[in-house]
Amino acid sequence: MPRLAPQLLRHARKIDPLLPLLLRPCRDLVSAQNELRWLREHAIKTANNSEKRSRIAGWRTVLRQLVEERTTGKPLQYILGTEYFGDLEIVCYPGVLIPRQETAASVTHLVDLLRQAEDLPSELRVLDLCTGTGCIPLLFQHEFNKARHDKGRLRLLGVDISPIAVRLARYNHMRLSNMRDLQRQERQMFKPGRDNDKKKNIAKPRYSTLDGTEDIGAGDTTEFMSADVLMDPLSDRYEMDAPPFVAEMNFENQPPFWDILISNPPYISPSAFNRTTTHSVRVFEPKLALVPPPSPGKSDEEQGDSFYPRLLTIANQVEAKLVLFEVADLEQAIRVARMARDSDKWDGVEIWRDQPELESDSEDEELQEEFEVVGQGNGRSVLCWRGPATQWLGKPASTIFTRRTPKKVWLLGQELEES
Amino acid sequence: MPFSSLLRPLFRPPTSNGLTRSLRSFSSTLPCYDKPLPPRRIIPETEIIENFLRGSGPGGQKINKTSSAVQLKHIPTGVVVKSQDTRSRTQNRKIARRLLGEKLDEMELGEMSRTGLKAKIKIKRKASSVKKSRRKYRALAEGKEGGEEEGEDGDRAEDSDLMRVDELKPGDPIVEGDGKKG
Repeated sequence: MPRLAPQLLRHARKIDPLLPLLLRPCRDLVSAQNELRWLREHAIKTANNSEKRSRIAGWRTVLRQLVEERTTGKPLQYILGTEYFGDLEIVCYPGVLIPRQETAASVTHLVDLLRQAEDLPSELRVLDLCTGTGCIPLLFQHEFNKARHDKGRLRLLGVDISPIAVRLARYNHMRLSNMRDLQRQERQMFKPGRDNDKKKNIAKPRYSTLDGTEDIGAGDTTEFMSADVLMDPLSDRYEMDAPPFVAEMNFENQPPFWDILISNPPYISPSAFNRTTTHSVRVFEPKLALVPPPSPGKSDEEQGDSFYPRLLTIANQVEAKLVLFEVADLEQAIRVARMARDSDKWDGVEIWRDQPELESDSEDEELQEEFEVVGQGNGRSVLCWRGPATQWLGKPASTIFTRRTPKKVWLLGQELEES
Repeated sequence: MPFSSLLRPLFRPPTSNGLTRSLRSFSSTLPCYDKPLPPRRIIPETEIIENFLRGSGPGGQKINKTSSAVQLKHIPTGVVVKSQDTRSRTQNRKIARRLLGEKLDEMELGEMSRTGLKAKIKIKRKASSVKKSRRKYRALAEGKEGGEEEGEDGDRAEDSDLMRVDELKPGDPIVEGDGKKG
């Protein structure tokens, strides 16, 4: 990392004495100034919220402490306690991975595509594995209900190995639904039609009714549970406290079939963890959520990819029609897409970049031949679909794998003859 | 005690807080609002290039960005705006669109644009408050010179609310109905 220029430090000190401290983790003046502003707002808020009698310090002292904490490289999101994920403010604390904006972009884009879908099931079931803060199911629900008012219910289930994460996800769900309830109450309070004539003249509600609908998401179910996705269901080794995924699904009486499977699993290989992650990620975020566990006889790259075969198996078990996996980069995306294609279970596979909603650049012609690459930025996620999901996404009936069906039929016929 | 100071609590300015506004007001005259400003300009998404100002290099789980800056470019005019006020990218996108709308409006309409009108109102308010405070301190100074007796007079001139009450004679019928007085 290049040294910070003394000139820059001097300039920063002139603006604010705390700025040079923030330059250490931020590396540039503009983001340091932004972070200082957010930290100051947070400090003023906490100093004002705490009880006057028990308060020992004013907001300036609080701010100083926060800045010093940030100087060690601790992520800003852990210090402030929240991170924005799409429209939602998600609570996060140490021990649980901070939601990333790229994930939000993929989820939002997926829901945007489903918005146009005609024949979704009356209860759309969405399973999110390795959910962490629960941000993906919560954003999915938010975006889905924003888009469609008349259509069916949602059943969302988030699964994570870490009990801390599950607890946080439940808390986030509760917090967001409480906020929604409050908004709804407020909207009802200031509904223009219900007021009498006299009031109508005076008090036009300042509150814009956000989307006009009253009980969006009322019939939805959102649940979180703790289970080990990676563990082979047949082995009875309980290394963590979490039971294997399939056993826990049965135990919790969850439905056996799910329409959509989303996952942002740990996907960084050990060597990439040492080389490419930033200091604040390496030191402060849980390694459990970043690097898949080691297993004997696997290379570095295979260890990084080790979640995806298992996730594809689960997708088959729950008969998912649509699958969205986040990946580290384009290389991993291609590896995962090949896995899905070679399993011969999917009607189509597509790779999404960081911003899948944008027009894709036409620079990688050779890649386009193998897989469709959508959007701009780094390779970010892999989308697979089959059966009814082909219509949901508005894809042509079969894109790449026309050879699939005849081959199977032939195999079946052969088996029948033999037996 | 002058009559106007008895009336004063009745003429409180409309609160901006929606919660208190929904309660029954004690005043029988209706608050008069400002003239509505021209509507905000909405730019079609097809005329905008949006950029999230990310650096090259790895993303996703490997790094932990705090920046959520949004840059917009208006294709027909080439105007560029940037917003990084909040930590929420969704919020920044909204802010950037509003900024771009204001900027284009200003370029086209100049003083008659929304922001221009707002600035005008602000200048007017400032001027009137300066005038008010000048009047107050002059009255105070006069009051000191004149002693206790004339101090009463000074108090009367002190508050502009009182001036408004004075215009409305006590005998006048209080009108109910639409509050638009101009």
